[in-house]
Amino acid sequence: MRNSKQPIIGVSNSILKIKELISHVASTGLNILITGETGVGKDLIAHNLYASSPRADNNFIKVNCAALPETLLESELYGFEKGAFTGAHKNRLGKFKAADKGVLFLDEIGDMTLSLQSKMLHVLQTGEFSPLGSSQEFKTDVWVIAATNHQLEEKIINKEFREDLYYRLNIIKIDVPPLRERPEDIPPIFEYFFKKYSAKYSESKVEKPEKQIFEKLLKYPWPGNIRELQNCIKKQMVLNDWDKVINDLLNNPTIGTSIKNNFSVLPDNNFDTTSAFLSEFINFSKSSGSLIEDISLKKIKKQACDKIEKEVISYVLSKLAWNRSKASKILKISYKTLLYKINELDINPHI
Amino acid sequence: MIGTHRILIVDDSRDLLDTFNDFFNSMGYQVSVAPDGFEALKLLRNNSLNHFNLLITDLVMPQISGVGLITIIKKEFPDLKIIAMTGYGYEPGILATEAQADLVLYKPLDLFKMEKNIAKLLKINTKK
Repeated sequence: MRNSKQPIIGVSNSILKIKELISHVASTGLNILITGETGVGKDLIAHNLYASSPRADNNFIKVNCAALPETLLESELYGFEKGAFTGAHKNRLGKFKAADKGVLFLDEIGDMTLSLQSKMLHVLQTGEFSPLGSSQEFKTDVWVIAATNHQLEEKIINKEFREDLYYRLNIIKIDVPPLRERPEDIPPIFEYFFKKYSAKYSESKVEKPEKQIFEKLLKYPWPGNIRELQNCIKKQMVLNDWDKVINDLLNNPTIGTSIKNNFSVLPDNNFDTTSAFLSEFINFSKSSGSLIEDISLKKIKKQACDKIEKEVISYVLSKLAWNRSKASKILKISYKTLLYKINELDINPHI
Repeated sequence: MIGTHRILIVDDSRDLLDTFNDFFNSMGYQVSVAPDGFEALKLLRNNSLNHFNLLITDLVMPQISGVGLITIIKKEFPDLKIIAMTGYGYEPGILATEAQADLVLYKPLDLFKMEKNIAKLLKINTKK
């Protein structure tokens, strides 16, 4: 039984909304599709759904649909009868059977082949499946939670994903935004893992980072999301050298040079030595906000940001003949966010 | 008689909600609107005494889809009539029927025809 619940950490609106959504749907058993980039915590959300549901006393079975070749995945999911193929010496139960009355978590569903998608659709429609080499149909009562980091809508257009399966999985959709779109979640997540690993690596006396370093962590785009942040803290526990850890982050090949340059601009030796800065940082930004209402740095910042954003987005869109899904990938924001920004910033094709 | 009938309309398009609101108001219904499944659930639960007679919901919406919404509220409000509408082909419509929507309509919608369907569903005598 794995219902020890790891918390979903975050203070951003999107995370609060996800928590609310989980509390609404955990008891319904409705099919759920969790989307988001690698490392945003899709597993964690699936686990929380399971742990808050009446199925928590039964199994949580995870299958990674990208990790296995088609035939193996098929026998993994549905099991097989003795003699179904060479080497099938005895009957084998599949994951659908193992997850009966519990949860079947299908990770990377976007990588499932079309023929397996049809079989999956059949199970979802009828609640029945037959193991390989068997003509017998078995009843199954599983709660299917699927996850993907692909844009399934795009895969449907390219005929790589069945539309009917998509709608059947997408009864409830939980879209987890990447960490860089919710930097306010970085401090509490950092705090959580720092405490966790401090306890684990108790012999290493690692101090919390200086304010300066922490600002870098806040500005870093975290392409690997929470998993990358987690690994970075783990690394620090071993190396105890923030400069080295941050340098390693910047050597990540997916990070663009503009970001690297942006980082090198930050003064390195100008430490403002405030201790226990984490909570201070949050309070500080709040109090400063109320003090300078009249000058409204916030407003100026917003205007400047909007201007740059508008220019960058217009430029990328014009280069891509307004292919918005491609543009969203290049800009590393979700498709939805891009549409929202196009609307909000009033970006038009004929400028 | 129509004026005593309460309709809740759920759609993630603000424009459509406004259109629906104006139209059904002008036809004499009491209309409430919600931009997503969350708000719809809240409205339904907070109005359990002065309850709604009809829910009209879009099917393809972020987070809680129309099908999800229908499934959740069918259990809580078995007497509530439900019309599902979609502009995304037949698939969502099939799911809505499975979830026991009373009627599925495909966009673009003919509002006058829709109103006739509603009157029939709510058993309103439309003869004037």
